[in-house]
Amino acid sequence: MAKNTPVEPLPSVPVRRSSFSARFIRDFALNKHLYLMMIPVIAYYFIFHYAPMYGAVIAFKEYSPARGILGSEWVGFAHFNDFFTSYYFWRILKNTVIISLLTLCFEFPTPIILALLINEVRNQVFKRTVQTITYMPYFISLVVICGMIKDFTNAGGIINNLFTYLGYDGNAMLQKPELFRPIYVLSEIWQRIGWESIIYIAALMSIDPEQYEAARMDGANRLQQMWYITLPGILPVIVIMFILRMGNLLNVGFEKIILLYNPAIYETADVISSFVYRKGLLEFGWSYSSAVGLFNSVINLMLLIAANYISRKVNDTSLW
Amino acid sequence: MKKSANISDALFDTVIYVLLLLLVAVTLYPLIYVAFASVSEAGRLVEHKGFLFKPLGFSLEAYKSVFDNKAILIGYRNTFFILAAGVTINLLMTSLGAYVLSRKNVMWNRFFIFFILFTMFFSGGLIPMYLVVRGVGLLDSLWSTIIPFAVNTFNLIIMRTAFMAIPVELEESAKMDGASHFTILFRIILPLSMPVIAVMILYYAVEKWNGWFYASIFIKNRDLFPLQLALREILIANSTENMTTGADNADRFQIGETIKYATIMVATVPILCVYPFVQKYFVKGVMIGALKG
Amino acid sequence: MRHKQKTVIAAIVTVLWLGVLLAACSSNSSAPSAGNQPAQTEPPKSGTSATEGEGSGGVTYPIQTDVTLTYWLELTGNLVGVKASHDEVPFFQELQKRTGVPLKFISVPNGKAKENLNVMLASGDYPDLIEYNFLDFPGGPEKAISDGYILKLNDLIDKHAPNLKKYLQEHPEIDKMVKTDNGNYFAFPFIRGDDYLRVYQGPIIRKDWLDDLGLPVPETIDEWYTTLKAFKEQKGAAAPFAQVGVPRPFNELGNGAFVGAFGVTRDFYLEDGKVKFGPMEPGYKEFLATFRKWYEEGLIDKNIATIDMKAMDANFSTGATGATVQNTGAGIGRWQPLLAEKDPKALLVAAPYPVLNKGDRPFYGQKDQPFSPGGMVAISASSKHPELAAQMLDYGYSPEGHMFYNFGIEGVSYTMEGDYPKYTELLLKNPDGLAPAQVFSQYTRANYNGPFVQDRRYIEQYLVLDTQREALEVWSQTDVDKHKLPPVTPTPEESTEFAKIKTDLDTLVDEMTLKIILGTEPVDSFENYVEKMKSINIDRAIEIMQAALDRFNKR
Repeated sequence: MAKNTPVEPLPSVPVRRSSFSARFIRDFALNKHLYLMMIPVIAYYFIFHYAPMYGAVIAFKEYSPARGILGSEWVGFAHFNDFFTSYYFWRILKNTVIISLLTLCFEFPTPIILALLINEVRNQVFKRTVQTITYMPYFISLVVICGMIKDFTNAGGIINNLFTYLGYDGNAMLQKPELFRPIYVLSEIWQRIGWESIIYIAALMSIDPEQYEAARMDGANRLQQMWYITLPGILPVIVIMFILRMGNLLNVGFEKIILLYNPAIYETADVISSFVYRKGLLEFGWSYSSAVGLFNSVINLMLLIAANYISRKVNDTSLW
Repeated sequence: MKKSANISDALFDTVIYVLLLLLVAVTLYPLIYVAFASVSEAGRLVEHKGFLFKPLGFSLEAYKSVFDNKAILIGYRNTFFILAAGVTINLLMTSLGAYVLSRKNVMWNRFFIFFILFTMFFSGGLIPMYLVVRGVGLLDSLWSTIIPFAVNTFNLIIMRTAFMAIPVELEESAKMDGASHFTILFRIILPLSMPVIAVMILYYAVEKWNGWFYASIFIKNRDLFPLQLALREILIANSTENMTTGADNADRFQIGETIKYATIMVATVPILCVYPFVQKYFVKGVMIGALKG
Repeated sequence: MRHKQKTVIAAIVTVLWLGVLLAACSSNSSAPSAGNQPAQTEPPKSGTSATEGEGSGGVTYPIQTDVTLTYWLELTGNLVGVKASHDEVPFFQELQKRTGVPLKFISVPNGKAKENLNVMLASGDYPDLIEYNFLDFPGGPEKAISDGYILKLNDLIDKHAPNLKKYLQEHPEIDKMVKTDNGNYFAFPFIRGDDYLRVYQGPIIRKDWLDDLGLPVPETIDEWYTTLKAFKEQKGAAAPFAQVGVPRPFNELGNGAFVGAFGVTRDFYLEDGKVKFGPMEPGYKEFLATFRKWYEEGLIDKNIATIDMKAMDANFSTGATGATVQNTGAGIGRWQPLLAEKDPKALLVAAPYPVLNKGDRPFYGQKDQPFSPGGMVAISASSKHPELAAQMLDYGYSPEGHMFYNFGIEGVSYTMEGDYPKYTELLLKNPDGLAPAQVFSQYTRANYNGPFVQDRRYIEQYLVLDTQREALEVWSQTDVDKHKLPPVTPTPEESTEFAKIKTDLDTLVDEMTLKIILGTEPVDSFENYVEKMKSINIDRAIEIMQAALDRFNKR
């Protein structure tokens, strides 16, 4: 059966024998070199990601360092229960989701817009300069960035003064719960816009300039060209990035939150990761944070699957 | 007709330039702040609040403190090695994976993708990771920060997406000429994906450059500490929060601030230089020639 | 081709199985080592350590031995950037010479002790000596012993650590603290040997301003009000009173300053043998109301919730702030020179902990426990030379060891002036320009902790300014001894429950405190918050603490 027939790219003729083993063998004959190429990668994932994965059970145990992970006592869902019945559970979940959605809504598009704008610039020097400078905040230590934000928004700070001039009451802006989310999202944009635009700029390179020519001849202005050519050109990349972002929805990183928040604004600023962090300061808590992490991961994965599914139906870009 | 097109074009251009200039001003500021702070006089920096548009006085004390520490030079050496060896391995592995995963009609691909994606969500944590690294004998070596991180799944997916965008025709004509997969990958796909490769180099280089956490767990030999780890130690030791009791003279408290900024400069400026280099690979329409020719 | 197919399949399968094997092997290695628990209650069986001197009595140092002990410990922040590892530090070199026991150091990066401990435990490579805060161990030190990780030291101390044994017999209150509820010793402790060493924090105020305004150092809440008002109106202070806001708002007030005037603290405290929780008590409401008034009138820094040390530095050096609560070192020691540079007349002094009525003694104040969390050293259960380890560690508590740990090497780091050990210029005015903290840590362990008893004559010289020394006197005048909880430990089962309640509780208390003081919520919302505390189970938390206290008292 497994005759060594010459390889053909796409079988457009329906095959009569559609049993699994037959397909398996044909596929193998067809693609064995590919599988060979894949070995190092799969081996890597197996050794360094799957082999250690048993450690995830720590979420179901009362971890004692002396006994190790496997030897620690089994407590089932006790940690999850602790987490779900925490007085603040709904609040931190709500805050996490809201901050994530706001970021998705407002911060996600900005690098794309930046990439489009940069693409329109003719002057090479200006173009290079903009690219190089706009991504710098991403590299400056978060401690410094947050220090600046606090400085600017405190009573007497530059931004605070500006708004006071426009009618604001002049109190430290990071002491007001309703101001936290805007400050957070805006500063995310500030930090990330340059760095995240890089991939879109790269994707823009692959668009055929001839399409622009054709459009110009048809009388399209720059804005229309952007809308009908450029944007669709990088749509696959945008969609993939979006799906991946959905898979990270519950991961609002705690470092920045911790540097910016304070108890006066916990009601909008306290998220899952910052809460777990404070708990970790009181006790070792590896099991607890593991359990919370597991919860996060499960939800994130479900979101990813959903996003991927929808994307597949709507257009044909998807992860699988 | 042409005149109005020109005017609308010019308007368009102006708007873009203005927006971009504003953005540049706002994103340049943090670096300027850090740069000026790092050469300011410690005493004046401590009492300063608000904008910093020029250094407060001038003093290289902070840099002297940082570079006096020979751990910095050792750190640079180690990190450069990690970058060179690490990014090379990263590119190789990621390209292989992205290539295979981007082929059509490969039965196992769906499984592979899920197999790999799954690891983005679930991991065993630090201790099992430590045990595995120990088990393969990589402890206390620079390779412990390279091999266990040979592929970044996020990057893999991006590269795969890029490969999938290359027209099938190119591949098919090569196959008809008898090319093997390796040839296709290296002679056709990679050259056409230069912008994405450039981005990958940037992403992986930054990841390697900034890494310190795993090094602090896997490496005990101080001669092998990467730069960021050495810098962190200096930062913590001079951290104004850490000085709680006793007779430390005020100078040491003050210089802690400028040292923080000097450290950031030392840690950041080199990697900032990578992007300009990599930008020249962002070349438009490389592929078009391939189709026509 | 067929053969090639087979090879490929074989290759894949092999790799997969390799991975599984690796995982199995590496995970197994952690279990057995934890499972091999030598019996801790009987004396260790290893008889190969050669120790000279009398059997159970004193050992003469240096001990004649060629056994090397491994010593796992963090490199202190004071030495980061100065020395790369413990082998290079003069103190540790000399320690080996004096005790006669060669040591192999495993230097843990500063600040990374927790992660490294976990990893070390998991790996099964156990050293002989482990310097780590075992009070912080999950489940407490009792669990560390019962899980077979460190040794119960009772017999070892009894037979091989006569110096420590003697000290503990002479100080039964300390003896209680260094044991677990079951009466087990688990580590060679760091003890602050004198009350003078235990107090280092309190209210600080600008005396020069007070003098200019003709005001005395404030003692009562009312006097503070007048003083702060005068600072604001006559000295132009934008933030007369400021306080660091991290990790908790009004951070240092947790040690009783200002809050104590109302007869409560921010946390658990003792009243006539009963455990109480401050924020639930009416006194706390009055405190909140007072501070709220002060905030409204601009006597407290407007940015109070976001202040960190850097902001405090700026506040003081620009004359925006005149008073705060801080440490003698991080506060007076740090800001005095800063201020003096700009204004030679500036003077920071300690103010007493505030009270409500003149003449009252402050209810509470900062005072560290004599048994301090840092610096304790345990002996691992798998050590082959526990008696030698105990003897080596006991050196710190012997008379010469005491002088060595505290003052270093005679003739190099200190000289005797009569009976008083005086630190040399090498330490106090280092010719290479090193800060005192850095040199002290090279020759002694006095300024960061370790397995020994700290001597007060260290701090008397370490504090450079008179104001710093006087501060300790002023801040010691409180009733904290009557109200502070001793270092109690909940049982392992209770401690998880307690930790859960505490996180929620601290979040609530901090929110309530800030919101009422900032004026976002009215003072009367206090009762609401207390209701919330009850629904978080504060009563259960108090119960747990009370039980722990009762057990402690019975030790």
